[in-house]
Amino acid sequence: MMKEAKMICPKCGAEMNHHAIKVDYDADDALSPDPAFDGVLEEVHSCPTCGYMALRQAN
Amino acid sequence: MTDRPLSIPVILGTTRKGRASEQIAKFVFQQVQKREGVETKFIDILELKFPIDDAGEAIKDPGFAETIMHADGIVIVTPEYNRGYPGLLKHVLDTNLKEYIHKAVGICGVSAGGFGGTRVIENMLPVLRELGLVTVFWDGNFSGARGLFDQEGNMKDREAHEKRIDKFLGELIWMSKVLRYGRENVAL
Repeated sequence: MMKEAKMICPKCGAEMNHHAIKVDYDADDALSPDPAFDGVLEEVHSCPTCGYMALRQAN
Repeated sequence: MTDRPLSIPVILGTTRKGRASEQIAKFVFQQVQKREGVETKFIDILELKFPIDDAGEAIKDPGFAETIMHADGIVIVTPEYNRGYPGLLKHVLDTNLKEYIHKAVGICGVSAGGFGGTRVIENMLPVLRELGLVTVFWDGNFSGARGLFDQEGNMKDREAHEKRIDKFLGELIWMSKVLRYGRENVAL
């Protein structure tokens, strides 16, 4: 399986850590909800340097 | 591991006039302030002024969201109203989502009667879990809320309350550190 590229912290430029996946049940349909979960799967990433948190849609 | 101080804000979860929980929340806040390596902030939901004609992330407050985003743990001081938590506390908590994920939370229950808010604490657990927070197994329990302070605002039986909150904060700080390490270093 191909590994996703690490997210880069938009605040400080450090590599972020992917530590959770959350289902967003209210996301826009344009974001293609996963039918198995009835929502959009979002990855949660945190920055080890500044603590910033960011999301991106999971594949 | 990063040497940034831990951030653990204290949320006062009621807007009711004459709320007995306010003095208790301030007492808890003072105890958090005493902890080395911990930054804190007092968040009074009365000051947040969220609208009530909408709900959830649609009414996100940038300042409150930023505080929770940078928090490593949260203390919620909530009264028990008819065995439940104040509706406005839920309204406020619901305005964030991703900001809570894999962060520690501890609850201080406040009740007029003798059960120290245990019923409101139990009622809050599923809500906090769904938000992505991780609850600790120590609680703050404050019974007989109207009689906890004397006329001058001094807490009666302060030493016993300090001892109990010390244990509660010890657990919350440990969990906050562990979860911060996990968020920042342990990949899913």
